[in-house]
Amino acid sequence: MPSQTPRRAELLQGTLDMLILRTLLFGPAHGHQIAKHIQRTTDDVLQVEHGSLYPALHRMERKGWIASSWQVAKGGNRELRFYRLTSAGRKQLLHQESRWKQMATAVARVMWPA
Amino acid sequence: MWTPLKAKKRAADIDRELRAHVELEAEEQQQRGLSEEEAADAARRQFGSTARAAEDVRAVWTVMWLDALRRDLRYAARSLRKNAGFAIVAVLTLALGIGANSAIFTAVDALMFRSLPFDHPERLLRVYATRDGVRFPGQGGPSPPDAHDYAQATRTLQNLVVYDVWRKNVSFREGDALPEQRRVGLITREYFETLGIRPILGRLFTADEAHNGSPSTGRGGPLPGNGSVAAIGAHLWETRFERDPNIIGRTLRINDELYTIVSVMPDVVPPWMEGGEHGHVEIWTPDPSPESWPESARGSHGTDALARLKPGVSLEQAQAELSLIAARLADAHAIDRNIGVLLEPLADTRVGTLGPTLLLMAGAVGLILLIACVNLANLLLARNSSRERELALRTALGAGRSGLVRQMLVETLLLSILGAAVGVALARIATAALASNHPVNLPQLDEITIDWRVLAFTILVSLATTLLFGLGPALTASQIDLADALKQGGRGHAGGSGRRLRSALVVAEMAMSLMLLVGAGLLTQSLVRLQQQGLGIRPDHLLKGHFYLPPVHYPDGPAITRFCDALTTRLRAIPGVVDASVTTAYPPTNGWAQFLIIPGRPVVGIADVPTAEFGVADAHFLTTLGIPLVRGRNFEESDTATGAPVGLISAEFSRRYFPTEDPIGRRIHIGPPPFLRLGGGANTLDDADVTIIGVAGDFRNAGLALRPAPHITVLYAQHPRVNYGFKDIVIRTASDPHAVAPEIARELHKLDANLPFSEVQTMEEVIEQSTGGQRLTATLLGSFAVAGFALAMVGIYGVVSFVVAQRKVELAVRMAIGASRVRVLGTVLSQSMGMAGIGVIVGLAGAVAAQRLTRGLLFEISPLDGATFAGASALLLAVATIATLIPGLRAARIDPARTLTQN
Repeated sequence: MPSQTPRRAELLQGTLDMLILRTLLFGPAHGHQIAKHIQRTTDDVLQVEHGSLYPALHRMERKGWIASSWQVAKGGNRELRFYRLTSAGRKQLLHQESRWKQMATAVARVMWPA
Repeated sequence: MWTPLKAKKRAADIDRELRAHVELEAEEQQQRGLSEEEAADAARRQFGSTARAAEDVRAVWTVMWLDALRRDLRYAARSLRKNAGFAIVAVLTLALGIGANSAIFTAVDALMFRSLPFDHPERLLRVYATRDGVRFPGQGGPSPPDAHDYAQATRTLQNLVVYDVWRKNVSFREGDALPEQRRVGLITREYFETLGIRPILGRLFTADEAHNGSPSTGRGGPLPGNGSVAAIGAHLWETRFERDPNIIGRTLRINDELYTIVSVMPDVVPPWMEGGEHGHVEIWTPDPSPESWPESARGSHGTDALARLKPGVSLEQAQAELSLIAARLADAHAIDRNIGVLLEPLADTRVGTLGPTLLLMAGAVGLILLIACVNLANLLLARNSSRERELALRTALGAGRSGLVRQMLVETLLLSILGAAVGVALARIATAALASNHPVNLPQLDEITIDWRVLAFTILVSLATTLLFGLGPALTASQIDLADALKQGGRGHAGGSGRRLRSALVVAEMAMSLMLLVGAGLLTQSLVRLQQQGLGIRPDHLLKGHFYLPPVHYPDGPAITRFCDALTTRLRAIPGVVDASVTTAYPPTNGWAQFLIIPGRPVVGIADVPTAEFGVADAHFLTTLGIPLVRGRNFEESDTATGAPVGLISAEFSRRYFPTEDPIGRRIHIGPPPFLRLGGGANTLDDADVTIIGVAGDFRNAGLALRPAPHITVLYAQHPRVNYGFKDIVIRTASDPHAVAPEIARELHKLDANLPFSEVQTMEEVIEQSTGGQRLTATLLGSFAVAGFALAMVGIYGVVSFVVAQRKVELAVRMAIGASRVRVLGTVLSQSMGMAGIGVIVGLAGAVAAQRLTRGLLFEISPLDGATFAGASALLLAVATIATLIPGLRAARIDPARTLTQN
């Protein structure tokens, strides 16, 4: 197939939050890393609008789900802001994950009644 | 928490973060094989607008802050609604403190501190004459010839002017039905120059226009060849002359004589400077120039005087110089012996003798504010203490400490804003009430509007209190041990230091309340005693009025007498009128004194010369006023104008000057002894030897508070030289005096259509006016006492309730192990009555310490009056007991079983 620009799915705000939290479950990362991870893992299906990534990150930091600190990147000469999950964020991730599953199950039931 | 500094730092961080992202993206693109430039472009394009992204991120933080605020407000509102009682009391307390304070301080400022509307007002002085160091009553300025001499000799004063205000009949338009009685200022051009007032239109009087004349001709009568000129005020120009641009040159009639208007002056001279019980002076005419006053006027002190210091000269220097000049005058003129001069800054004379009163008011209101703040503090402390559990829980559940503090701040601010809003409304109402109820001798009160500086200050103070006591505990809330708080059974600890502070505050409140109560009690009693002073007349059903017979139509004594006799005869014929008398003498103040020569009383120096208050009346004087005759006989029809002059003396006169003999039939001379005589002119009587025919009862002639001075009354018919055209008339009516007034005016009109019947009041109103200042003070202080009292009671009630609630468990335990309900009640009572007792003692001490403030205001009652002190203390203790009983009874009704199991 010729490389088509993968269709960019629009991510609901809440969903983006969940994905970010999940990404951070692996460990601390900075904004660029988070965006690249999601992009790679979904094979470019989900490309996070970088204009929505940072607002989301800051919103979640405000709510106390993630915490940030400036650190020097590995092998780097620049300082980057690294985010990590907090215990509240962990709880929030579980909560959002179960809600997502509920939602998906419900939608599946309607779409593909068995 | 969000702060501007933090926001800046945050914005910088965001920019840094986004820039780093763009760079990383560019690197990546480079690795994919794009050139550096293309990579950077691609990165930036993919990013969209970095600026927009930064904005969005920043918005996240702002919106969250606003959201938090909204949330806090809603929570605060809900919490206040739930504790409506507390909220209402707190708001009212704040409002009362703010409102009362603003109103009173505005009034005091307007009366005492506002700067005068003149050039360099601090250099303006009032000049008074003194005899033996005591000021003369009434206007009391130096006599015009003396003033002229001062002005000539002084090197420290720039100006010294004499001025006066007379009532005259004024018509503004030809053919006006009835002239109005207006107050006309008699001045020289120097008066306005001294004050630094320039005309809006026209010019000041010239030296030529100053009238030559002597006081006995009525001053203001023009001599042939002198054009009569007048100046009018701006308000008059607008209301009576429709702001006519050609006003200069128009005329008006004063006492039936034509005056040409030569200037329009701005209305800046405040009424209190011109003896203003009846409003502004709006018309001025020239006074005789200083050098043309006759020597005979050297003894009269019935005018006002103003002076202006030269720049750089102090009041003390001027006073010293003028006293020196006065001494020189005393050597040169016998009548000036013992006459001194007193200079006072004009600003200090604003409120006359009411200065101490106003300061007392200010102090009282300050106390109220203090009590209000104390109450507020207590309320907040109590409330916060009971919320410790709630705060602890919220902390445990993750509310940040800053979030808690912010939320309490919002709640406290909400309370403060509400209180301030109500307070401002209250302030406006109170100020308006003061303005419309001002006593007659404080006319400047009618112009007061809220002083915003004062309002701001009181709001700030209240805010500070609220914040301090509302937030303080919150700031320490995070240090609460959660376990501890939960263990306390939900009511917070009966914390040692907290309770001591609260108790101390209540004691302070009670003390201040007591001081206010004592003050109010003293003043009220003083007022009552003052008003109960025997007047010496029968003041009921008496009407008083005034009219002026201008010399143009009534050129001499006999003409005036004829008119007055005709008038009083007609008036007595009116069915509603019992009697009528034209007289200069009636209570409470007389204000006209004479020297006397009493044969058989040797006189060595001026201090020995007998004096008496002097009145000029007709034969119906005693009967109309209702003054009893003690000895001898009253005036009769046989005492005609041409008959032998007779006089009635008062009982005090008889006691003082005829202590051992019968005064009836004695002849005395009314006038100064030879060494004081100046030859002809003012205020001397012809045939001034008067035979005493009777002794009448004393009546108040030196004000309500002082004993009646010796008084002698003669018939104006017999003494043309003191038969002036200014006439006061008193009429005794059968029914309501005001109902008969129109008929009296009609009769007057029938006799002479050009005479207005003015200054119509009942005698009771006249008397009331003279106590207006005291009544205001007593009323105000009384209101403050009530307010402070109420606040203190609320305070006690609040604290006791709170303590009872806190100790519920303890009390329940006690009852469970056998303490009777009565004992429980006793415990509660004893604790709070202890506080009350200490409060009373401190308050009494305070009241004793403050006696100097009140002493000057009290009449026939000591500032340490035992009965008042005892009464106020008893009242305070009694109400405190009641305020304690309510929660106390609640404590006694605790069901121990239920309480213990609940917790």
